[in-house]
Amino acid sequence: MEGEEFAVGCFLSIKTTLGDEFEGQIISFDRLSNILVLQEGLESGPRRNIRLLKANHIKEFSLLRQDEDPLDVKKCFLDLTSLQAREDSAIRQAEADSERFGVGVTSEAQTLFDALSKTLPVRWDKTVIVVMNEVRVSSPYLPESVSGGTPAANERVRKVLEFERKRMQTRGTSQ
Amino acid sequence: MNMQQVVFPKSSANGFGRQRGDREVGARLENKMQLGKSNQGRIQTTGALAAGKTVGNESFSRDRLVYLTTCLIGHPVEVHVKSGSIYTGIFHATDAENDFGIILKMARLIKDGTLCGYKSTTEFVSKAPSKILIIPDKELVQIIAKDVAVTRDGFASDPQNEKYQEILIDSAISQSRHVEVERELEPWVPDEDDLQCPELENIFDGPWNRNWDQFETNQKLFGVKSTFNEELYTTKLERGPQTRELEKEAMRIAREIEGEDTQDLHLAEERGVDLHDDFDIDEEMRYSSVYRVRGVDDSGYEEDEDILLDSHNIETFGDSYDSLSRSADGVRMPSSSSLVDDAPSSQAAISEDLNCSRPNDQARQLASELPSKSFSVSASESRIRDKLLGEHGGSSDGNEFPEKQSVSEKPSSSGKLSEGPASSKATDEMHSASSHGPPDSSTSSNSDCVGTVSASGGFGLSPSSSMGSLSSEKSTLNPHAKEFKLNPNAKSFTPSQTPVRPLSPVSDGSFYYQTQMSPLPHMHMPVSFGIGPSFPGHQPVIFNPQVAPIQSPQAYFHPNGPQYGQQMVLGQRQVVYCQPEMQYKGRDY
Repeated sequence: MEGEEFAVGCFLSIKTTLGDEFEGQIISFDRLSNILVLQEGLESGPRRNIRLLKANHIKEFSLLRQDEDPLDVKKCFLDLTSLQAREDSAIRQAEADSERFGVGVTSEAQTLFDALSKTLPVRWDKTVIVVMNEVRVSSPYLPESVSGGTPAANERVRKVLEFERKRMQTRGTSQ
Repeated sequence: MNMQQVVFPKSSANGFGRQRGDREVGARLENKMQLGKSNQGRIQTTGALAAGKTVGNESFSRDRLVYLTTCLIGHPVEVHVKSGSIYTGIFHATDAENDFGIILKMARLIKDGTLCGYKSTTEFVSKAPSKILIIPDKELVQIIAKDVAVTRDGFASDPQNEKYQEILIDSAISQSRHVEVERELEPWVPDEDDLQCPELENIFDGPWNRNWDQFETNQKLFGVKSTFNEELYTTKLERGPQTRELEKEAMRIAREIEGEDTQDLHLAEERGVDLHDDFDIDEEMRYSSVYRVRGVDDSGYEEDEDILLDSHNIETFGDSYDSLSRSADGVRMPSSSSLVDDAPSSQAAISEDLNCSRPNDQARQLASELPSKSFSVSASESRIRDKLLGEHGGSSDGNEFPEKQSVSEKPSSSGKLSEGPASSKATDEMHSASSHGPPDSSTSSNSDCVGTVSASGGFGLSPSSSMGSLSSEKSTLNPHAKEFKLNPNAKSFTPSQTPVRPLSPVSDGSFYYQTQMSPLPHMHMPVSFGIGPSFPGHQPVIFNPQVAPIQSPQAYFHPNGPQYGQQMVLGQRQVVYCQPEMQYKGRDY
């Protein structure tokens, strides 16, 4: 990793030791930590795709061209409060989302859960989908696995489940 | 907003000294020293540890790195580690002082590198997100973040976007684990420096001496000439020689009214009577608009409308209930009166208040009440509620049906109670059925005590339904209930709907053929079962298509209306069908 190649603004094509391949423009390279900061994509707009790569994981790279510094330092500001706020809201959102994702469930189960949640109030109870707090759908999430609740609710959940499974089938394995 | 411009030295030379002379490098170093310090201060507040160790030329690049990682805070990122696993989470911090290990929050493993190849998607099992995940530097391969706001424009739009997306719904706040379940409510106190409306206190004190003429002000400000004449809106005051005396008289009356003893909490408060220390009345009791009889649970929304509905019901049914109420009253009086004794004084007081304030309430005007009436009402309520808890479909109701019919003009509605309703209409009545209970007490109580709460008269049920949703531990017997008189000519009870049942499995190839049905008394629709697709032949239960179709797809709806009702009455065998004579596989009803 010679210094010359890692000049700011250079466009590189990189292959990582894990098999990733991409192109990006160098924003910065920090020798001490051996981290190469790249931006992918050509726009120098305010929002970019950033990649931080440990240089020791570069399997091979090639210089595509040299360009200007993509980072206009005059425009670089840090608003700490908004960053903190962003983090807080992201965490809140993630917590809310985590309610939606079952733990230890297959993605098929998760898909069914998501489909049910479009029209019914659902929640996870370990690996059991609980609908309207009364109907329970346990693995393997077939219409037969629906239990509980009033006959009306039970039937409704069954129907939605059947319907959703059919849809999944027609869509194929491209889940 | 705490905006600080990060002053980076001029770029291009990434510390390689290609384009800069030493002199400049030196200058930059100095620059960075300061920068480093300020960096340190700033970044510590965001959580990233230390920063800005300015060592030689690399500080420039280090600064950039630090800047960019700071930009990532709060951003969802994907982290690849040495083992091939990929984590995704919210970027929280990086150890900028040392070797840039990173910390993610709410991180999830999305690809497990320890497994060879890819698992098929159906088998991939999700894992719980970890609140904090620390990835040491040596594990780190790369961090990928999309749409990171790097420059100022990105930031500028950011706060607005963030705020816009951050519409917190109440349930999000209340269910978030960060927030306590119950917030300690504090009474509002105006700010110390809130002197914006100092006149507010005074402005209503002397309505005639306000030192402020709104019309004058309006005219001055907007040039609007007012044509307001107070006497258009209120009684003309005769200002003559007798004014003084009239005034005195008026004041006296006013004082009398305002000084009146009242048990109504709201009135009391208005008049400045402070009885809040005496009773354990919380804010809900004080300021809620829900009318309640003391000692009764909050049953919410029905109550206000129920008072009105009660009155309507009394208008419609009042007379017929009287005799029923009275006798029942006589019987039950002792029980309720004993309860009256036991009740805390406030309750008695409040029931009294019902009487006092009755004239003011239109709903109450219709009733002729006794003081204990409110108790009889609440008594019946609790009994009704107990009934609900028991089983309102129980046999106890059966006894009361004939009663009910003589009293109520809606036998069908009462009939539904015993049927264990499953249809939507019935579920409505379930709700009101919570108030149904013993007809005699409830009807009478309805006729008597308008002041009490919750009638579900809206469902078209007999007024007896009014009582149910309240609960109390008083006796449920209504001493004023109408006396029961058997009405032998009452229509016999027929349910108008049956519960929907899923069909039992049927054999294939069963057919109905067109039959000549003997006209049976209750069937007033043509019973023609067409030859349709195979449907359960031996089961005459045809479901009302209006009812939510909840049976298996094999069911055949004959769209002739609620035939099953009749069939219920008729019994299964009466549906005649031709061969093949099926083995009866269904259920006996």
